[in-house]
Amino acid sequence: MANKVSKTAGTNKSFIDRMGGQQFIVLILVIVMFIFFSAMSPGFRKYTTVVSILDYSYYIALMAIGVTFPLLTAGVDLSIGTGLVCYSLIGGLLVRQHGLPVAVGMLVTVLIGLIFGIINGCLVALMDLPPFLATLCTCMITRGFGAMVVGGYGIPWPAAAQEGGWFRSIFKINVGGQNIPIGFLWIILLVIVMSFVLNHTKMGRYTRAIGSNKEATRLSGVNVKFYHIMAYVICGLFAGLAAIAYSAIFATVQPGSGAGFELDAIGGAIVGGVSMSGAVGSIWGTLVGVFVICLLKTGLPFIGLTANWQQIITGLVLIAAVLFDILKRKKEAGK
Amino acid sequence: MKKKVLAVLLGGCMVAGLLAGCGGDNAATTGDDAATTEEGGESSGGGDYHFEVVVKSFQSTYWQAAIQGIDAAVEELGVTVNTTGPNAESDIADQVNMLNNAISQAPDGIALAANDQSAVLDSLQDALDAEIPVVCFDTGVPDAPEGSVIATIATDNEAAGAVAAENMYPVIKDAIANASGQVRIGEVNQDATSANISGRGMGFINKMKELIEADGKTVAVIGNQFYVDQVENNGDEGSADVIIEVAVPAQTTVELSATEASNIMNKEDTIAIFGSNQVTAEGVLTANSNLNVLAATPDEGIVGVGFDAGATLKAAVADGTLVGAVTQAPVDQGNLAIKALYDYCEGNEVSDIATDSYWYDASNMEEDTIAPNLYD
Repeated sequence: MANKVSKTAGTNKSFIDRMGGQQFIVLILVIVMFIFFSAMSPGFRKYTTVVSILDYSYYIALMAIGVTFPLLTAGVDLSIGTGLVCYSLIGGLLVRQHGLPVAVGMLVTVLIGLIFGIINGCLVALMDLPPFLATLCTCMITRGFGAMVVGGYGIPWPAAAQEGGWFRSIFKINVGGQNIPIGFLWIILLVIVMSFVLNHTKMGRYTRAIGSNKEATRLSGVNVKFYHIMAYVICGLFAGLAAIAYSAIFATVQPGSGAGFELDAIGGAIVGGVSMSGAVGSIWGTLVGVFVICLLKTGLPFIGLTANWQQIITGLVLIAAVLFDILKRKKEAGK
Repeated sequence: MKKKVLAVLLGGCMVAGLLAGCGGDNAATTGDDAATTEEGGESSGGGDYHFEVVVKSFQSTYWQAAIQGIDAAVEELGVTVNTTGPNAESDIADQVNMLNNAISQAPDGIALAANDQSAVLDSLQDALDAEIPVVCFDTGVPDAPEGSVIATIATDNEAAGAVAAENMYPVIKDAIANASGQVRIGEVNQDATSANISGRGMGFINKMKELIEADGKTVAVIGNQFYVDQVENNGDEGSADVIIEVAVPAQTTVELSATEASNIMNKEDTIAIFGSNQVTAEGVLTANSNLNVLAATPDEGIVGVGFDAGATLKAAVADGTLVGAVTQAPVDQGNLAIKALYDYCEGNEVSDIATDSYWYDASNMEEDTIAPNLYD
């Protein structure tokens, strides 16, 4: 089991492995897809389409960065999609109905995300609920809770031109009539920070260690419970940040929505090389994987493929990614 | 004074109700069924009917507006009502469960907005066997067992789609007449499965096609096969003067609707676009936040028309981003559904009601017939 974390050091690494393995292949895939869609559709080639793809990628990317941590512990967090909507609804309600400043609404949004992260972490790490089940329950709870708090009404966060609309310019600024998608810079920054956390801090190393062999990690004196909880707290925090990104890009947040968002994020992470069985994966890989999902979602309609085909193709891509992961591990085990 | 009159009336109703023996044996058990009652009507003992209401989705603004109408009827008639509904309109099995639960409560009547017209058929038979009258609102159930549904109160969706076309056409008429080449009208539809909703999309397509052809131009409908297959005498895509392009997102999320809308709005020849419900219309607006092409006339950009309401849509209509939108009458529908059940229990005749849909734009949003249906 432990060899999962061992770096495949040595000189006999293939070119692809030296370039980052699956990440590298997926990055190539993203570029190929982009070129393919651009060639096929004049609408896709436009700058505004690029801005749209980035717009719709922020919340998925943020969720995916967060959910990489539970995935690395061999867990999962299914509550991030409905959670995102729940946090955004509550934060937005405070701004809209109670007149609080947008900054306070944003802070509350992230805080509630953090709280649900702690709840998930406690359910999984302290009470030993299977992560799938625990977070499925919080998925339902957040969905119901969010809708209940707002009484079923959709919440529009302030529009760009309204008072408090400044927060939308965190992700997109308008310079001389042209939209500049600056949100991408924040995502890159967060990917750098979280890559550092994952690769160069105790937090990151123990997260992988838990995913590789929890019992061995505990026996070596690590406070497994704490770090296991923290993986879900990070995930909750990023779901909160994703909630802000979602509120900033879309006009209205609808209660009852959000189910299925988590699958885009988890799917992105897996395409990017994060293993469902834990320990293996990187934040950069996750980001690249998210763009595969986003490009499929945006690009397929542009080349005239209807809804059903979009879902079939996305499913096939996920199968390919998981198969790749399995084959790679079989090969390593056979060495 | 008003209350006294009401009390007398309700008292009369109670006597009438007893005489009529509404709901047969079931009536006896419902009075005690307070546990399931959310809103205790201020009944002075009269009427005393209990109705179960199953809406399409408890978590949407549209249904909150319908519930407002239901609450008003509860207040007025002194009945009690318990309202339930699944999380999303796609939760068909959940809704059937809720309907079955409602039937087992043995209420005096059930108001149902069915998410799936065939999934509820068995339950409707059960309701018929239990002698519980059912009123369908928002959506009819055409194949319901004979006698189970006493009335249907619904928007005429084909007419609602036609209202959108009738109001869009005058704005783009000249652009079509004077066009040097082909022009394109987009439609983003929320669904390609339920007959009720596709009726709305087809209502728009057919009316638009009719109006354009009446002015001597040819039309080809392309895009989603489900819709294209329903078009009679479809024109040839290569030679038609006007293309109507129909898109349906994989799921009804704003993001996917926006992507479908972007695709159409990016095409050089597009002069107008219609979003056939709240989410798809918001998708059109989201796409526009980057494209910035929506305008009041085809000369300046693309003419946008929405459907339903919600704060975002209302703001877009008010500031002219959309030239207008069509609203249904959810408040009326909820209200009329309860009244129909009440009338039936009172032994009165009830019949189907087709509720209107209204065109609204910046000029008439505040009017009395429109404003109550423009929920946030």
